[in-house]
Amino acid sequence: MTTITRRALLAGVAALGSAALLAGCGLNDSAAASTPGSGTVYFGVSAAITGQYAQYGEQFKEGFDLALDQVNAKGGIDGHPVALKYEDSQSDPKQSVSVAQKFVGDKDVVLVFGDYSSAASIPASPIYTAGKLLQYGFNNSNPSFTTKGSQYQWSTSITTSATYQWTADYIKKQGVSSVGVTYLDTADWGIPAFAAFKAEADKVGLTITDAEGVLDSSDDYRPSLTKAVAGKPDAFVHIGYGPDAAKLVSQLRSIGYQGTFYGGQDEQSFDGTPDAEGSVVGAQFLASNPDPAVQAFVTAFKARYPNEKTVTGFEAGAYDALNVAVAAARLGGATREGILQGFQQLKDVPSVVYGSITFDPATRRVASPQLTPTVLRGGTWVALHG
Amino acid sequence: MLDTLVAGLLRGNVYALGAVGISLVFGVMNVVNFAQFSFFGLGAMLAWFFVAQEGLPFWLALPLVLVVCAGLGLLVNVAVVRPLARFLPLAAMLSTYAVSQILDNASQLAFTAQFRVFPKVLPTSNLHVGSMRFGTSDLVMLGVTATVMLGMSAFLRYGKVGQAIRATAQDQEAALQVGIPVGLVQHLSFVIASALGGLAGVFVSLYVGVANPTSGLTTGMTAFVAAALGGLGSLVGAVVGGFVLGIVEAFGISLAGDTARQIIVFAVLVVVLVVRPGGLLGKVPLIATEPLTGTFLGKGRPLRVPRWVWPAAFVLGGIVVPFVADDYVLTTGTQVLVYAVIAAGFTVTAGQAGVVALGQAGPIAIGAYTSALLTLHLHVSFWVALPVAGLVAAVIASILSSPVWGVKGHYVSIATLGVGTAIVAVIQLVLPQGIYGIPVPTWAGTPLSTPRAYYLVDAGVLALTLLVTWRLRASHLGKVISSVGSDEVAALASGVRVRDYKALAFAVSAFFAGIGGSLLAHQYTYIDPTIFTMLMSLLVVTIVIMGGVSLPYGAVVGSLVLIGAMELLRFTPELRIIAYGLVLILVVRFRPGGILVRTA
Repeated sequence: MTTITRRALLAGVAALGSAALLAGCGLNDSAAASTPGSGTVYFGVSAAITGQYAQYGEQFKEGFDLALDQVNAKGGIDGHPVALKYEDSQSDPKQSVSVAQKFVGDKDVVLVFGDYSSAASIPASPIYTAGKLLQYGFNNSNPSFTTKGSQYQWSTSITTSATYQWTADYIKKQGVSSVGVTYLDTADWGIPAFAAFKAEADKVGLTITDAEGVLDSSDDYRPSLTKAVAGKPDAFVHIGYGPDAAKLVSQLRSIGYQGTFYGGQDEQSFDGTPDAEGSVVGAQFLASNPDPAVQAFVTAFKARYPNEKTVTGFEAGAYDALNVAVAAARLGGATREGILQGFQQLKDVPSVVYGSITFDPATRRVASPQLTPTVLRGGTWVALHG
Repeated sequence: MLDTLVAGLLRGNVYALGAVGISLVFGVMNVVNFAQFSFFGLGAMLAWFFVAQEGLPFWLALPLVLVVCAGLGLLVNVAVVRPLARFLPLAAMLSTYAVSQILDNASQLAFTAQFRVFPKVLPTSNLHVGSMRFGTSDLVMLGVTATVMLGMSAFLRYGKVGQAIRATAQDQEAALQVGIPVGLVQHLSFVIASALGGLAGVFVSLYVGVANPTSGLTTGMTAFVAAALGGLGSLVGAVVGGFVLGIVEAFGISLAGDTARQIIVFAVLVVVLVVRPGGLLGKVPLIATEPLTGTFLGKGRPLRVPRWVWPAAFVLGGIVVPFVADDYVLTTGTQVLVYAVIAAGFTVTAGQAGVVALGQAGPIAIGAYTSALLTLHLHVSFWVALPVAGLVAAVIASILSSPVWGVKGHYVSIATLGVGTAIVAVIQLVLPQGIYGIPVPTWAGTPLSTPRAYYLVDAGVLALTLLVTWRLRASHLGKVISSVGSDEVAALASGVRVRDYKALAFAVSAFFAGIGGSLLAHQYTYIDPTIFTMLMSLLVVTIVIMGGVSLPYGAVVGSLVLIGAMELLRFTPELRIIAYGLVLILVVRFRPGGILVRTA
């Protein structure tokens, strides 16, 4: 290629680039200025659509979209249709702050769901607070999301500490006296969860023979597991998520440990693992729950997503979250101030996770959430009674 | 004891397969191939697709995976890597990073991001040694690796084409002169490497039990370290490196826990490189200059920048933008500015001293934590904490990196990557909890918490950074540092203490990285170790290469393009990362020396 054509190309690329830049800014302004007259109510979603955490973004979207269809089929919010604006943050704080500012600047957006991880959600919180835009971290189980946040941070996720206090109590009640533990060595989730578990275990007299911090990005847990079961504990507890629990439980069985496996959240990549048979978790959401509302949701979900073999707490949580947001908008009005008032006053919103949701206005979390002990039998989760 | 050893061997097996591919491509093309990482994830997903979805038998699926990966590898080399590698290895490396982004996201579009349970094709726990159980599956994997390795070494030793590959690896120009079709040899190596990557990916998922499109990254990174450990370009070295690393990891985890894994991996790497600068079995690089940048100067054509641009850019960026743009543009602007500060400081190391250090997330994290802890616990003002954060980052990062400056060639990049990663891993061990409520900067009692205020603070810091780096370049000291980067041998011959000046350049870069970390911490008001990732380090390097490796103001342009593009491409959410990768490749294709270039 000659120098001249290269220069021309380069100039072209540069011109295109700057045109795109200008067009980008232009579009933003016009979008913010000209509110569509249809009266559509917009919620924002700040989530990972690409990158390392994309699978959770996909699960959330399925739950949201299903709830959205149902809400709009019933006339939306007082006749106004509801729509979502998705922005990909890759759960990266560098992008989640820009996304937050974009939503704050978009006057149509009256509430934002997300983000997924604490590292992306908490840096965005001051921006949402300054913009008086409610940040609904429906998935943020880190207690600090709400305790260190302002009146604009709300969550329907059970806090990690509550979950693992419950777990320690439950295991003790099963007549188990000692456990080996692995926990995710992450700042925002695994470490506080393990601390809560340990405190409760000490209180109720459940012995922890050994606890090993592990990383979800690791593939090989055999060295950690060998060590964790060296003290021959009665049962095994993993404080973590589905994908890591799947790897752990297979490897735990492959090193010959046969005690009950407690833990890992009820996630589909976990229950497809044959080695997970007989594992016990405290579930927020249980697809086999005979409750008619849950069954209606599961049926609708499977009809809409025939390729999905299971429905998990991630989709159910997103489904609930959209319904909570809609209920708040109906109660307080579909404006930023109205939504906030709605959240403060909401009572007994039907929920496929909790049965019904009422917020504790002091913690901005669900008041007294309950878990259901469930066991994996023949590849599906069923409730354990007693 | 024995069970840990078995776990290590199985693990090392996978690393060895991956490392051979990386070493092979490096040997014949002198390019570190990030796309290789993607072939791990891709191989796993393809195998899952053929076996679990299409119902093919595993022994049919495996060759299919290899063929698809080999074909994609050829495409990548023909379309992207080879055209660039001919004149600039650094540009080619950047483009392989872009290719890996495209491959990962294409795989995600095709297979979704869900973790898939990998079908059990062979028994996995029917045998045992001591209390360690393993299965036929593991034995078959070891057997396949051994066969492949023996086949490869016979091919390289006795086959005519294999000999051509070795000749090309030894001396590309000499190989050309004796009539070896170097282009074909390079294509072939890429094909073999990609197929091996796919194979390693299948094995990883057989061993682990689940896979998703991004699951190759961790394994890929470790395989890369294994290749460096054994000596880049040496295939036997790659195998040895893979097994050594697998076994060391297994024992390390057993003694110190999973969290210490990265620290162990990189500590071993740094120690090996300091003792044997060419890796365990590799040759010590003869060329003293960093090959990535040594041929860099003078290759690109500089864009002539008229003088009036400087005041115009200053007025536009510092005065017009903050008072015209909306908050979204300003918030994005703050990220652009902070990364520009970090990258501009980094040009002293990458451009002037000629060392492409890959672990800038380390000093950034030190700065962020220093500043957060000082303001929170000692109630020091932000304006004091900011420079202190820079100083602490410079001091700690310099001390920790001091052993690596004698390491040569690409190895110094890998060693600095090791130091950076280890720093973040140590922080995670010591302070695993996130830090909340980091105070926002204040000025005369007014909190500077609006996007505009952050933007102005960041712009001011950037102006100072550019001023300092510009004065540094013009000074006698700067000229000495540049002499190290331009011609290390000549500099040594002139009595310049090359090692010390590299360390000094790195300290300057770490200072600005620490400043950048402090700015981020006080804007986010929350930090935890997951923020300071390898991707952050890669972004800093990419920005510098994009802008023109030795120009501080080029870093501003690079930061604007790379962070701005991520935001501008929001109109196509699913294809955003793929488009981003394509933009990167196009820029590298037409401005392989960076957007702005300085001639020697």
